[in-house]
Amino acid sequence: MKYMVIIYGNKDLWQSFPPDVAMDAIARVNAFNQSYAESGELLSAFGLGDELTARTVRVRDGVSVVTDGPYLEAKEFVSSFFILDVENEARALDIAAEYPFAEHSAVEVWPILHEAGQEM
Amino acid sequence: MNTEASVEDQLRQLGPLVLGSLLRRYGNLDLCEDAVQEALLEASLNWAKNGIPERPRGWLSTVAKRRLVDLFRAESARRGREERFMVGAPPAEFLRVPGEEYDNDRDDSLQILFMCCHPALTTSSKIALTLRAIGGLTTQEIASAFFVPESTMAQRISRAKRVIREVGATFEMPPSIEIEDRVRAVQHVLYLIFNEGYTTSSGPNINRSDLTREAIRLTRELHRLRPDDSETCGLLALMLLTEARRPARTTSDGDLVTLADQDRGLWNASLIEEGVALVTLALSTGSLGAYQLQAAIAAVHDEAENSSDTDWIQILALYETLEYVAPNPMATINRAVAVGMVQGPVAGLSLLETLEGDERVSDHHLLFAVRAHLLTMAESMDAASDAYHAAALRTASLPEKRFLQMRALQTKVT
Repeated sequence: MKYMVIIYGNKDLWQSFPPDVAMDAIARVNAFNQSYAESGELLSAFGLGDELTARTVRVRDGVSVVTDGPYLEAKEFVSSFFILDVENEARALDIAAEYPFAEHSAVEVWPILHEAGQEM
Repeated sequence: MNTEASVEDQLRQLGPLVLGSLLRRYGNLDLCEDAVQEALLEASLNWAKNGIPERPRGWLSTVAKRRLVDLFRAESARRGREERFMVGAPPAEFLRVPGEEYDNDRDDSLQILFMCCHPALTTSSKIALTLRAIGGLTTQEIASAFFVPESTMAQRISRAKRVIREVGATFEMPPSIEIEDRVRAVQHVLYLIFNEGYTTSSGPNINRSDLTREAIRLTRELHRLRPDDSETCGLLALMLLTEARRPARTTSDGDLVTLADQDRGLWNASLIEEGVALVTLALSTGSLGAYQLQAAIAAVHDEAENSSDTDWIQILALYETLEYVAPNPMATINRAVAVGMVQGPVAGLSLLETLEGDERVSDHHLLFAVRAHLLTMAESMDAASDAYHAAALRTASLPEKRFLQMRALQTKVT
C-alpha cells in the first residue's frame, strides 16, 4: 500500500527553532530518509519552496489566470511530503510518527489510490 | 520456433536449478543469486545471438560459477574477510575448474522457494525475493510491476538477502515439522503475486499480467514438487479459473465489469477445463482447504453458460463450508451475496448486520458494496445509492471507486 505523508507548517514555526534544534532536526530527517530508503519503504521525499513562491492557476472562460500564493488561505501550508510503500496502514502510521517534525507540527497520512480492483 | 521466447522459457526454468546447485555448495544466497542473475543476463544475450548451447544447464552453471568467483573476490577485497563466505565451502572444491559439473540432475527449487519465503521476511520482501531468485525476473521488471523505483526494489531485495544471512538460514530442507508451514507461506506468496497481477486493470499497466503468468508458472512448479498437497492443487485451479475470466473482467477503458455482466464468450475455455479437472482432483484426494473451496466456487461460476444459470445453491453451500474451514469475515460478506441469491435480499442483509460490530470489516468498502447490491435487489434504491456512495469513499482502488460512484448515480432515485 502506498501512502503520501504530508508535513505542514509555517514560517513562524520554522523560525521558532533555535539553530541547534533546527540543525538537529535536519540531521534527524536525513537519517530518517536514509533509513527508510534502505528498508525499501520510502519511495521518495520532497521539500517544497516557501508559500511566497507558490502560484495558483485558474482557467476561466479559456483564460489562464495566475495568482501569487497557495490556493488555500490557511495558517499552515504544505512544506514537504514523502511517499511510502508499506505492508499496511499501521506501518505507515508508525513511520509517520517517527518523522522528526511530527513532534512540532502534525503530519497527514493519505492513502494513494491504486489501479488494482476486485471483480465485483 | 520463436527463439526469443524459447530462450526466455529455458532461462526461467534453468535459473533456479543452477542457483540451487550453487547454494548447496556455497550457501551464500546474496552472492549466489547475483551470480546467477549475471549468468542469466549473459545467456540471454549470447543464446539469442548464437543459439541455445547443447548443454544449456552446464553452460549456465559454468558462467554462474565464474561470476561467483569474481563476486567472491570483489567481496573479500572489499570486506577483507574471506572466512564468512567460505564456511561450508572447502577451497579446493570452490576452485575446481569451471566447467566441471556436479549434481546436474538435481532440482532444489523447493528449498529456494522455502528460503525466499522464510518467516523472518516481510511479505513484500518474500514476494520480491521469490520473483527474483526463482522467477528469474530482473530487479527492474519487479520494480515496474509494483510501481516503485528500481533503487527501492534493489534495496528491498538486498535487505531481504541480508535478513536471510542474519537469521542464519541454511540451504537445507527445514525440519519436517516446519515444512507444512513453509508450504503454506509459499502458497500465500504465490497467491499474492497472482492477485497483484490479476486485480490490476489492463490499459496502462499491461506489464502486470506478467505477474499473473509468473504466479501460475511457479504454482505449477510447486504442484510438480508437492503433487500430493491438495491445497497447492486447489491454488493452481483457483488461479486458472480466475485467469480464464481476465479477458472479460474489464472494458477496454479499464472499467470493471461485474461477473453477471461479463461476456462469457470471452472466457478461456481451456483454462476452465484444466482448472475444473484440478479442483475435482484436489477435492477428491487430500484434506479440504480454503484454496480448494475458493477454486470450487470459481468453477461453479465458470461452468454456468450465463449468469442466470449459476448454481447459487451450490455456491452457498461452498461458502458455508469455507467459513467453517477458514472462518473469515470477508468470506461472510461473500456468502451474503449467495444468501441473497438463494433466500432473497432480506436474508442477505440480515447476515451482513451480524458483521457490523466486527472491526476487521465494519469499515471495509466491500461490506458497503454488497449491502448496496442487496438493497438494489430489494428495490430500496435510495438506501442502495447511499451504500454505494459509502463504499466508493472507502476503497483505495481507483477502478473500484469509479465503478461504485457510477452505481451510486445509477441507483439514485430521480
